[in-house]
Amino acid sequence: MADLSKLFDAVLNGDQKTAVAVTQEALAEGCDPMELITKYMVPAMDEVGRRFECEEYFVPELLLSARAMKGSLELLRPLLASSGAQPAGRVVIGTVKGDLHDIGKNLVASMLEGGGFEVIDLGADVPPERFIEAVREKNARIVALSALLTVTMPSMRKTIDALKDAGVRDQVKVMVGGAPVTPQFAEEIGADAYGENATAAVALARKFAQAG
Amino acid sequence: MRLTLRPLPGKRLADQLQQAGVEFPCGGEGICGGCRVRVVEGDIPITDSMRRQLSEQELREGWRLACSAMSAAPVTVEVEQWSVRVLSDEAAVAVEPRPGWGAAVDLGTTTVVAQLVHLETGEVEGIETALNAQARFGADVMSRLQYELRQPGELGRVIRSQIGAMLGRLAAGRPLQEVLVAGNTAMHHLFGGLDVAPLTAVPFLSPCTGPLRLEADSVPWRAPTLFLPCLGGFVGSDLLAGLVATRLDKKRNTHVLFDIGTNGEIVCASRGSIRCASTAAGPAFEGGRIRHGMRAGDGAIDSVRIENGRLVPHAIGGGQPRGICGSGLVDAAARALDAGLILPNGRLARGDIVLSDSVSITQSDIRQLQLAKGAMAAGLKMMAGEARRLCLAGAFGNYLHLPSARRIGLLPEDVEVEPVGNAALRGARLLLLAPSAREERIAGILSVVEHVELAADARFQDIFAESMALAPFRLR
Repeated sequence: MADLSKLFDAVLNGDQKTAVAVTQEALAEGCDPMELITKYMVPAMDEVGRRFECEEYFVPELLLSARAMKGSLELLRPLLASSGAQPAGRVVIGTVKGDLHDIGKNLVASMLEGGGFEVIDLGADVPPERFIEAVREKNARIVALSALLTVTMPSMRKTIDALKDAGVRDQVKVMVGGAPVTPQFAEEIGADAYGENATAAVALARKFAQAG
Repeated sequence: MRLTLRPLPGKRLADQLQQAGVEFPCGGEGICGGCRVRVVEGDIPITDSMRRQLSEQELREGWRLACSAMSAAPVTVEVEQWSVRVLSDEAAVAVEPRPGWGAAVDLGTTTVVAQLVHLETGEVEGIETALNAQARFGADVMSRLQYELRQPGELGRVIRSQIGAMLGRLAAGRPLQEVLVAGNTAMHHLFGGLDVAPLTAVPFLSPCTGPLRLEADSVPWRAPTLFLPCLGGFVGSDLLAGLVATRLDKKRNTHVLFDIGTNGEIVCASRGSIRCASTAAGPAFEGGRIRHGMRAGDGAIDSVRIENGRLVPHAIGGGQPRGICGSGLVDAAARALDAGLILPNGRLARGDIVLSDSVSITQSDIRQLQLAKGAMAAGLKMMAGEARRLCLAGAFGNYLHLPSARRIGLLPEDVEVEPVGNAALRGARLLLLAPSAREERIAGILSVVEHVELAADARFQDIFAESMALAPFRLR
């Protein structure tokens, strides 16, 4: 029998090799992929988030845990798709136009995946039209916008305005985050919420998914 | 230029010399010999570090190191940094004596340094240092650019009037023949009133990075003025002038010139090609976003040592610590790592690190340091992998202790790091003194320089994350 607590530990400790090995073993033994995610990986990423909150973990640990989780998810995703299991929700995420920085955005994307969401990651320097396209195509209910530079913050406003003009603003909840972004700014530009960090973003996404 | 200093209570002569503008390129550790002064009147006793750096004959001639200078009586010294060195190397810019005075200005985001230069002898006859008056419109480059977008032209007026006041005091009525200014790309654009919008969004490339020429009647100091051209991206003419001063692009092996600040800038010169890049380190090295952080001024902890198992801070000026500057933070982190107070992943093992009654270091301070040093180290790993030697330019080197910087993994432990002081200002002065050779020297650099966008490299995220560990690293 695969020792599944090792999957929890591997994600928590950012040990990709072990995470992948345990996942393979568990699948070979016929474990339910959804159960691996909800019982072991989601709690592990929650614990990673908690440790980040209390400053025990920092960016490198977060990235390593995210990588471990991704390694395991890559094995599980095809099985989930064929089994027709439903994700917790669908999130379109990207760093807004004019901004190349995607480390923070990648962390949020990983934490959301770890939290059981299907994440459509559009990358960095994403023009508003791409967000609109993705929302329409994937029928996403949540849009997450990131910016690191003070000078690209106006790009967030433009993206939200473009969602309005395209008539899709009402079908999505928009959350924004990034070093220079504040709750006041989020309100000013008509976002639904501001996420202080990756764990806050997951909590918000869960709230939105339950409400919607 | 000669300096006469009288003893002040509680202040070492070394501190007084530094405050008068003498640079200590190796952080005052007596290992580079870059702060040589010659005693003209009075006496500075010879120390061990002076014996190591200077020959018997030099000591007899009165040469001393400013960084370990003490004196109980008034002394007058000549500062070698301020007299131009005649370079026999053919690659040097040909200095061309001409009558009158000129000025070289290093326009930094944080500080402005102006030198009055005698064009006949090449000697510096006066120095003025000030905080950049634009700082009240935003501490870092990005917030200033954003201000400029809202109020175009104002920051340019502010800085030109500040430089005008500095040059007015330096020249004291003497007419200036010419003024040369070096600075980063943002300073270049703000100074010239250029459109900064291209600098605020991807790909951060402005079409107007060339030299700025201002007529005498368009500037407060009434002298023809040249703001030197940028190298590319955010890498400005401070690095271009630094290349001129260090001649790194003329060496046979790969050499790197870099500076450490809110924006770390890295220039790699290798067999005729020059690549440059900048890396966003954030404000930690300037004391920003650090609970008790401050700039390197009076009262700032600039170094920390261990005595009887306890951390003992030293504050600039010798008095009670009021806060901690970037080099102090690097030093404190290195000593705290040694003492097991910080783990290599940056976690504080036993809570806040107390340095004095009023100054301590928090977990979040160490996180900020990790981000700053991680960005710098990642940039070096990506740009300087083959470098034979790293030359550290800029004021930060005047305080930074290299062993501490290596201990926390800010600088590599396997490649020699040579602090070169304010190379931007030296290069600007050299170019000021070489009116005929100037164009060709600059064009020679610009024709081969290539700007690299580090954040666009797929490897950046992983290298950055791995570089946040507070542990020594190697380039090879």
